[in-house]
Amino acid sequence: MIAFVLVLTSVIAAMLTFYVNHQLKQGPVRSSALLSLLVASFLYIFPNLLPTELTKNIPVVFIGGSFIGMASKKIADSYVKLAISGLVFAIIYLNTSSFFNGYGGALGASAGISLLSVLSLPFFTPKKHHLTNGVLQLRKIIFKRNKH
Amino acid sequence: MPRKKIRTFTIILTLIIQLLFLSAIFIEKLQNAYTPFVIIVLSLLLLVSYVKAPIHHRTNLHEHVLIVLWIPIGALACYFLNNVCHLGPVIAAGIVGTLGSFTPLLNKQSTYLKQLPATFYCGAFIGMTNIAIASSVYFVLAASFFAGVLLLVSKSLFNGLGGKLGTVAFTAVTITSFIFFLLFKK
Repeated sequence: MIAFVLVLTSVIAAMLTFYVNHQLKQGPVRSSALLSLLVASFLYIFPNLLPTELTKNIPVVFIGGSFIGMASKKIADSYVKLAISGLVFAIIYLNTSSFFNGYGGALGASAGISLLSVLSLPFFTPKKHHLTNGVLQLRKIIFKRNKH
Repeated sequence: MPRKKIRTFTIILTLIIQLLFLSAIFIEKLQNAYTPFVIIVLSLLLLVSYVKAPIHHRTNLHEHVLIVLWIPIGALACYFLNNVCHLGPVIAAGIVGTLGSFTPLLNKQSTYLKQLPATFYCGAFIGMTNIAIASSVYFVLAASFFAGVLLLVSKSLFNGLGGKLGTVAFTAVTITSFIFFLLFKK
């Protein structure tokens, strides 16, 4: 249950930051920092609203997810990609090693890894139009001749 | 030519750091049923991205060398808020990042001020380091120095990639903690 909420948080954070960044034109740094500040201070003021584990983890996951949303439009062209990389980020966060615990930038590194790994996905989908128009025409002519 | 060598070196350094991060998880969670598999798949996808994805651009943006001076300021502010005021890392980075993002409003024509928010935010990530690892202010200053060098060297790499600043900060903190480990802890 807790894992599910954290996954949802990181997906929402990535998409919301991207929206504020590009649709509301606030710039990447402000959209990420301000949204995380709002979420974190809300949970700082009301610490008893949610179970302790969620109160502790939601701000961290949110700021990590919002790093993904800082991507430019050239890099991430759809919300689906952001959602997938939010999911990957949450998986990395849930399994993160205690060796790098407390390192500044570990969240950013995981966000970078998740976004980079999602960027490679388009190379695995089969191309739809690998035949050019000319080849298609040629094939039509050849098949017509064979019928006669 | 040296410029191209520096470029290749930075890309390889980033890849090594990211694989190090993933392999730390891999070694720790070997008993787990699905985690090692996920990590292997992620590493392969990462390699494919490095080889094929168009993530490196040549920007024509004129970058000032002096913006690097603001990294330690962001880092120290965030470190102070995090470890002395006990606000927690997320709120500290949020405050520094939000304040930093308003600096371009001071003078809208200036290209110098436009680059400051990212610099401040990169510094804030260094300041998020736990007091158990960054035991003194000198650690933060040393990490800021490395982050400044990396930020200048990687200015046309990973452009517009979310998490670039975080990766730079993480690389700097890792290098610094390794050096401090060699120097002081034996």
